[in-house]
Amino acid sequence: MENNFYALHSLILLLPLIIFMAIMVGISIFVRHKQAGKNFVSSYFVGNRELGGFVLAMTTVATYSSVSSFVGGPGMAYQIGFGWIYMAVVQVTAIFLVLGIFGKRVALLARKFNAVTVVDIIRERFQSDFLAAVSAFVIVLFFCGTMTAQFVGGAKLFAAVTGYNYEAGLILFGLVVVIYTSIGGFRAVALTDTLCALIMMAGIVLILHYVLKAGGGYENIMMTLEQNNPEMFEPFSFGNMPWTIYFTQWLLVGICTIALPQSVVRGISYKDTRGLHDAMLIGTVVVGFMNIGINFTGILAHGILPGTAADYGGVDNIIPTAIVTAMPKELVGFAIIGPLAASISTISGLLIVASSAIVKDVYMHYKQKKSQTVESSKLKILSMATTAVIGGIVFFIALTPPSLIWLINMFAFGGLETAFFWTLLLGLFWKGANKFGAELSMIGGTIIYCATQAAGFKILNLHQITIGITCSLILFLIGSYFGKKTDEETLKKFFA
Amino acid sequence: MKEKLSDAEKFSLVKREAIYTGLALVGLIIFWLIVGFGTASIEEKIFHLPLWAFLGSIGVWFFAIFISFILSKKLFRDVDLEGKDDGK
Repeated sequence: MENNFYALHSLILLLPLIIFMAIMVGISIFVRHKQAGKNFVSSYFVGNRELGGFVLAMTTVATYSSVSSFVGGPGMAYQIGFGWIYMAVVQVTAIFLVLGIFGKRVALLARKFNAVTVVDIIRERFQSDFLAAVSAFVIVLFFCGTMTAQFVGGAKLFAAVTGYNYEAGLILFGLVVVIYTSIGGFRAVALTDTLCALIMMAGIVLILHYVLKAGGGYENIMMTLEQNNPEMFEPFSFGNMPWTIYFTQWLLVGICTIALPQSVVRGISYKDTRGLHDAMLIGTVVVGFMNIGINFTGILAHGILPGTAADYGGVDNIIPTAIVTAMPKELVGFAIIGPLAASISTISGLLIVASSAIVKDVYMHYKQKKSQTVESSKLKILSMATTAVIGGIVFFIALTPPSLIWLINMFAFGGLETAFFWTLLLGLFWKGANKFGAELSMIGGTIIYCATQAAGFKILNLHQITIGITCSLILFLIGSYFGKKTDEETLKKFFA
Repeated sequence: MKEKLSDAEKFSLVKREAIYTGLALVGLIIFWLIVGFGTASIEEKIFHLPLWAFLGSIGVWFFAIFISFILSKKLFRDVDLEGKDDGK
């Protein structure tokens, strides 16, 4: 009897999360219903280019901000101090950079070529099916790595905070995100992302409030911190935060993020330039709020967790332990939604792009080349099934998680940047960029990046993104110099 | 107000706006360096935070918002994307 009561009580605590997930599925069913009768491929993969500024900003931020922004990042801030926030704040550039550099360019090209994916644009620019196939392969491969990390991170957090097991968490939020993405497509992803971003901000305020309250107030925490941890008030944290981290983070989570296909595709999805301009401003406000808010919370957690990160099982356990320690049990169900929203909004954004890479960039292109048409109803089933299958595969990998999952996440981030940074930047703004240069840069750069990661090879102890991005640039320039120039017709289409 | 531009004019516009964005990035990096590392030796505190930590986090964020405002509301121009709505 007592056990039953306990189980019921625990279930009630999870009710906010269950309701939140049900709303997500509800939104996707509503979107599918509303989109009925419209061009399926365009509506499913880019939401018919109907996004307004607010939704565009929120979906770009929510996809960019992952569960590691909510767990690993603030855990490191707890360990390092204010140097970590100073480093992490470089992420405020991410939104205005990608939308400012690629937003209009990609939107104009997409309308000109009726493109639905970033790969469509790469194919048109370099007139290379091979490069398009490699792009699709790189996207699916690295996205699967990132999605696995999101599933594992979210489920671990769920288990640590609620006391339920890892698998239960994975089923509760993991299966739901696959279901709602498969049903609703990009439009549902954008709307649910918007809700997720709002919930993430509310979650940060909630956790911060209780951490401050339980720690005896801001002034008290800061004074104790200054006395006991003077290194946290120094930018290099007495050697714990070397300049190399500052440098590579500017590349890895700042400048190079402009080329992430999941961000660039958002340039295809908005309605008009006014929306784009609004999104640059709103996105920068939101990304800074989340970034500073959650990392500051990590530092202030010292008020309730006075030991070192190792005392609580490592940096990844700081935020879960802080939630459990500082918040009333009744509110834990609410507090967990914020970090899980960060996880599912990233998964959904990646899942729909990975699905488009297979259905649109590989399958439909193959059919088009053979002059075969695919029935709309068949395409609909195929697209939804592909999304579900990719999500399902990643879900099953996450059930038996590979070790060093966080490394896989950052590895994938760097791999995507190495593959797409110069191909997109030079391809879309430099007439001299050609097919051979892009192929050499994407394939050679990515292989070199992966090889240096696998071998643990570093120069000046800098993250391998510096090697990857430098090599892919050199290869791009060499290839463009020696390769055949792009034909006049294509250049005219792209550069008028 | 949306402008009707030729393809060549549109390309020149997006290129110019991309350059503005790149310059804004350079400005932000310089600002980040000056207000963070540049003020690290100053003893001053704001809200119990060392000056460098305050300016290097909240200051950089506000500066990024300012930059986004200048870019999107002052320098960038509205253009007609002229897409045929393939959804209808």
